[in-house]
Parts: sequence; C-alpha cells; structure tokens
Amino acid sequence: MSLRGRALAVALMLASLCCAAQVVELDRMQLLSAADPVPPASGSAWRTVRLPDGPFASTAEPAAGARWYRSNFQWREEDAAARSSWAVYLPYLYGGGEVWINGSFAGAVSKGTTALIVRWERPHLLPVPANLLNPGSNQLDIRVPTGTSGEARHFPRVAMGPLHLLQARHDTRMFWVRTMPQITVVVCLLASVFVLFIWWRRRSEVLYGLFGLAAALWGLRTLTFVIEQVPADQWVSWRIAYLAATGGFIVVMAIFSMRLVGIRKPWVERALLAYWGVGPMLLAVLGAGGEALVNRIWIGGMVPIGVAILLLAGWSVWLQRSLSAALLPTAIAVAVVAGVHDYMMAWNVGFLGSLLPGWSGQRVFLLHHAANLLLLAMAGLLTARFVQALHALEDLNQTLEARVADRERHLAASFERMGVLQQQNAASQERQLIMREIHDGLGSRLFTSLLRVERGDMDPAQIAEALRACIADMRLALDALTPDEPDFRTVLGDFLFRWQAQLEEAHVRPSWTIDVPDSALTVAPPIALQVLRIAQEALTNVLKHAGARQVEVRLRHAGGMLELDVIDDGRGSFEPAGANGRGMHNMRARALQLGGALELQSDAHGTRVLLRVPLSALNG
Amino acid sequence: MHTRVLIVEDEPEFLRRFSNAVLSDPDLSLVAAVSNGLAGKAMLDVQRPDVLLVDLGLPDINGVEVIRHAAARHPGCDVLVVTMFGDDEHVVASIEAGATGYLLKDASAERITSSIHELRAGGAPISPSIARRVLARFRLAAKPSPGPPDPGDGSAASPLTPRETELLRLTAKGLTFETIGELLEISPHTVVAHVKKIYRKLAVHSRSEAVYEASQLGLL
Repeated sequence: MSLRGRALAVALMLASLCCAAQVVELDRMQLLSAADPVPPASGSAWRTVRLPDGPFASTAEPAAGARWYRSNFQWREEDAAARSSWAVYLPYLYGGGEVWINGSFAGAVSKGTTALIVRWERPHLLPVPANLLNPGSNQLDIRVPTGTSGEARHFPRVAMGPLHLLQARHDTRMFWVRTMPQITVVVCLLASVFVLFIWWRRRSEVLYGLFGLAAALWGLRTLTFVIEQVPADQWVSWRIAYLAATGGFIVVMAIFSMRLVGIRKPWVERALLAYWGVGPMLLAVLGAGGEALVNRIWIGGMVPIGVAILLLAGWSVWLQRSLSAALLPTAIAVAVVAGVHDYMMAWNVGFLGSLLPGWSGQRVFLLHHAANLLLLAMAGLLTARFVQALHALEDLNQTLEARVADRERHLAASFERMGVLQQQNAASQERQLIMREIHDGLGSRLFTSLLRVERGDMDPAQIAEALRACIADMRLALDALTPDEPDFRTVLGDFLFRWQAQLEEAHVRPSWTIDVPDSALTVAPPIALQVLRIAQEALTNVLKHAGARQVEVRLRHAGGMLELDVIDDGRGSFEPAGANGRGMHNMRARALQLGGALELQSDAHGTRVLLRVPLSALNG
Repeated sequence: MHTRVLIVEDEPEFLRRFSNAVLSDPDLSLVAAVSNGLAGKAMLDVQRPDVLLVDLGLPDINGVEVIRHAAARHPGCDVLVVTMFGDDEHVVASIEAGATGYLLKDASAERITSSIHELRAGGAPISPSIARRVLARFRLAAKPSPGPPDPGDGSAASPLTPRETELLRLTAKGLTFETIGELLEISPHTVVAHVKKIYRKLAVHSRSEAVYEASQLGLL
C-alpha cells in the first residue's frame, strides 16, 4: 500500500471513529480564562466555545495564565457494567495541561517550565481512574497554560470513551505524528550520507549532491519534531535550525528542479540561497518573540518557490513526456499542496477551516509525509539514472567488444590476404628465378648444342657431353632452389654427394670437409645457386682438363667470409687464354655478382680455386 | 652366386641400357625386363628376383605400388629405384614403400652394376637432404605417440637407435661417409649398412603408421 493510500485510509478511519456510539466527542466546551490551580466554580464568566479552539491570542492573557475547558458527559450504567476503564483522548496538547474529573485531579501532560520548553507532537491518552466516575452526569475539566507561544495556543476536540476504543485512535495518530518522523530522520540521514558520498566521489553528479543535501536538511527538520523537549536557553537556536532546514530543503528542491530541466541561472540560484539565509537570520536577530512573524512571512514566501518548483516539474514532464518522468513532478505537486495545507493550518487560514472543518481540527500536518514521498521519488529518479548509466556502460562495452572483434576479424582477414599475396609473390618470384636459370643455363646450352649438331659440328661424344652438362645444370637448379630447409651444408652436401660418384667414375679421388659453426648456415636459394655454379665449373674443369688424381673441396668460415676452396693435383689447367677461359670468366663474374671475390692459383702441380663471399651477402 | 635382377622401365632406351648393363656383368642375371607396372607385379608373382630395378614414372601404375608389392611378396628382395634427379620427395616415398637404394637415370653402366652389388653387399647410399627428410619423417611420426602400441614394430617412439640418429644428423650436415665413420669409429662399409637398416625401419615404420591411420579412419 502506498503512503498516500495509507494516509487516506487513516483519514477515513478517523472519520468513522468520530461516529462510534460509545465514544463521546466533545465539539463544544465551556471556557474560562483563569489561573486557578483547581477547577473554578461555575458562573456567568464561563462561555461556550467550539472545538477545536485557537489560536488564542497570547498577548491577551497574563504570561502565567491558564484556560479552563469544561464539559459534562454521561457515564452510563452499561459503561460501569462493562468494567472497561475510560480515558480522555487529546489528539494534541502541545503545551501540556491537566485533566480533572468531577473536581478531582485525574492526570496531566507535563507542562513546560522556565528552564524547559515542551512541544508535544504526540497525542495523549489519559486513563480516568474508575473511582472518580459516577453513573450519570460527570464533569470534565482541562487546564491549559497560555504562557507559551505558537502551537501551544491550540486546544483540540476532546474525545472520551472506553480505553480500548480510543487506544487504536491514539496509536494511529502516534504512528503518523511521532513514529513516522523518527523513521524519516534515520532514513534521511543515512540516505544523505550515502548519496553525498557518491557525489563526493563524482563531483560532476550535482543532482546527487543536491539530493543528498535535501535529504540531510529534511532529516534535520524532522528531528525538530522528534525532539519534544528543549532547554529554554536553546529554544531560539532550535527554532533557527528548524527554519534553516525547512527553507533549505525548499531552496535545494528548487535548484534541483531547475537543474533537472537543464536551467542554470546562477543569479536565480544565488537569490534563492540568499532568501534561505534571511529567515534564520531574522529569527536570530529578533529572538523568540519574532518567531511568529518570521514563520508567517518568510515561510509564506516559500509558497511561490514551491509553485515555481511545481511549474518546473511540469515542464520537465513536458520535455521528457514519459511516465517515469512524471513521478518526481507528481511528488513535488503533492509536497507543494501538502506544504500549502500545512501553512494554512499552522496559521489558521479560515479558508481551510471552512473547506474541511472536520479535518482541520485534527491538526495533522502532511508535509512530513509528502516530503518523504518526494525524497522517495527523487531517490527513485536517481536510481533510475544510475541503472540507466550502468546499462549505457554495458551497451558501450558490448559495442566496443563488437567493434574490437570486428577489427580483429578485419585484421585477420587482411593478414590472410597479405599471406596469400606474399605466397603468390614468393611463388612468382621463384617461378621467375627458375625461368631465368633455365633461360641462362639450360636454355642457352640446348640452343647452342642444337645449332652445332645441325651444322654437323659435334661428334657423338661432344653431344653426350653437352647433354650431360644440361642435365647437371638442371640438377644444380633443383638442389639450390627446392630445399625444405635452407641449410647450405645440406645443399652443398647433396651437390658433392652427386659429384662423388661422377668423380669416382673418372678415377679422381674426392674428399671434402664442411667446417662451419654448428648452427644452420642459411643462404638464400639464388645465392646458393651461384655458389654451386662456381663449384660446378671448378669441378667440371678438374674432370675435363686437369687429369687430376684427387680433388679436395673445403667449405669454411673465416673472418666474416664464407670460403669455398677447390684444390686439385692436376696439370694446372686454368689458363685465361685457353679453351676454358670462358668458364673462368663466368666464375669471376658470378663471384663479383655475389659481392665476393675469386682467387685462382694454377701451376704444374695443381690448381686452387678459392671463392670468398662475405657472410652478410648470403641471405640475399 | 648370381644376383637375379628384374627391370621395370617404360622407356625402351633406358630399358635397353639397364638390361645391357645387367647382362654385361657375369655376376648378374636378368630375370625379366618389362615395360609397365602391372607386368612387373605379375612377374613378381611368378619369379623371385634378388634385385628389382624400377622406374617411378610408369604408364599404368605408380612405381611405388610395384615396390610395395615386391616388399610384401619378397622381403629379401632389394629394390633400387630409378629417378631422374634423385630428389628427396620421390626417393623418400620409394623408401617408405620398401626401396633401399636409388639410381640416377643417366647413370653409367658401371654405376648401375656397382650400385646393384653395393646394395646386395648390404650397403645403401644416402644424400644429405634425404637424410634430413628421413630424420624428419621419424621425428614427425614419433611426436604424436598414439595410445595403442603399433602392431608393426611395437614401439611408439622413434625406432632409430641413437647411433642411427646421429649418423643421419651428420649426413644431413654434408659430412662424407668416411668422416662419419671416423667420428662414429666404424668403417664406411658399416655406415652404409646402417643406412640400409634405417631404410628398412622407415618402411616398417610408415607401414605401421598407415595401418594405424587406417584403423583410426575405420578402414581396417
């Protein structure tokens, strides 16, 4: 059940209780202004007043004066037989007072003293001692002090009846005017600490800060209703605190509403803050005597501010046009109406009395509850904003994740494309390489041989030799261009392995050493091919022209160079001008192409071909 | 004692050349010289050659199939594969089928007969890149180490002895058999004998691997 629903239910219940048969409602009583400590005698000085009575002018009465209210009531035999104890119910008696039955003291609500000011917000239920009641007519007297100001100058409609019937009425009012404010104080102060903490951590969330401030002010204001007894010397400061909290709450609400609809007018905000300061300051200057004036005028000035808040809230709804956006303005509207209601009730504006005569006598102030409702609405709004922010964050994260995933896919795709391109590129480079090798080596050899054969210039042995050279060239290209792992030791090993058989068949004893560091010796295929070609040329020369008995091939590292040494013990066949001059020229050209050098030593005891290539040039 | 040689070669020139080489050696005898794979297989069913000389590029079936047939029917038969370039891809495939040596297509008659004799004497040559490839085949096969032990050789790990592995490693580095023999303190003859054993192990290994893979695929 909502708060408003409960308030309505209570109001209905109160109304129905008014008509309960066994409860005597006193809506008129005899009144006599007299300071007598015991009920004064009846006489013409007594006059009839309608209840509730007040506010009675405090100036017209002596400071220590009192007012006596008197009424007769029937206590029937049935009531006596029911043996249920009777009680006097006073919905309020702000300044305390005494109850007398048939001229005897029956009970009291403690009054203030010069040192302690009381202001009872709670209702009072005073049991009547059974021995004081007589079957038939009885007389009730209530003595109320007039010395205190404000609320104390009100006298309620009194109810009498069986205690158990009045108890519920008392408890209900007790809940709404006392327990509820107590809860409100605790909840407001806790909520404000919590929300202000959020604002402290996130200064940009000004709405949270304002809400926290509003909750704190409201908690403080409500506290002044919860504490019912205040030392007299602190009374003024207590009232100043009350005014400051009430005015502050309204001003903060106004700023909150403005910010909510996006209005930022510093001068308006400053003016509001200044107005807030005026009330408490006036009271501080004027003292307790000025409270009525300050309350009436300064608090009255808050009503237009409340209406402005209401308008702003309406605007906010119009701007957002959503059901949830209507929540806060509705609550504000309720609060403003409740505030106006309370204001009228506090100052007994006749309009309210004539509009709701039964209700206004109850003196139930509504702003407490409306403000609670308002704070709830604000909390709901901020919570919704918070949840929305979380959702937005999650959405953002998801979008971000999706974008990252998307980007990753793109990257992977482009890597793949690049890989394919690289492969294609590598394949085409390799194809070009092979084509060039075939063109330069095998191709030219075949064409030359073909022309010579057609001319009849080659005998079968020469043809065979030319063809063998072609096959050797092809094998060389295969050795160099298709290794699984580009370790030159394996490439050269394959080459020498093949030559071994060939040399042995020609009765040349081969031997070779490969003396390079154990880590793989990587040489780019085109460079490997050139090196092998030089080696092949050298070995072919050994085979064809040297007449050697043995040949030695050495591969080694020396001083940043890769050295390939081919040494035979033949006749010293390399002569620049000889038939093999072209082969010699080719070897030198290739060595130069590699960025290396070729050394040739040849004499009657043998030939040495030494190729030196810088290691840095080996990887192409 | 005669070494009986069967030749399977589709090109007539080479068939003649190989046949002549075999016929010219008094220690060798020619069982048959056929020009296609099916004929070769049929011949293997009726004859028992000591050496099979087979070309890989046959017109009807792959030479590898003929090698497999020979290895299955006559475990004692040495298979010498004829290749154009001695490239490791073809040679290793042949070894896995059961070949223990290879011969370049342009080899001289002397080289042909000496290769046959070398093979019969228990030796097999190996080039550095083939050594590297064989090493890789064993490593690759040893890595997954499948759950059930292989029915063929009974060991999931590399079936090579440390010495054999070392031998392959040194060969792959381009060292000669003489040098390897010195390093491992064995004769060059023993080196080539080891190589032949390695070839046999690779054949057994790849066969059992094929069996394993087939059973994994539900083919057996």
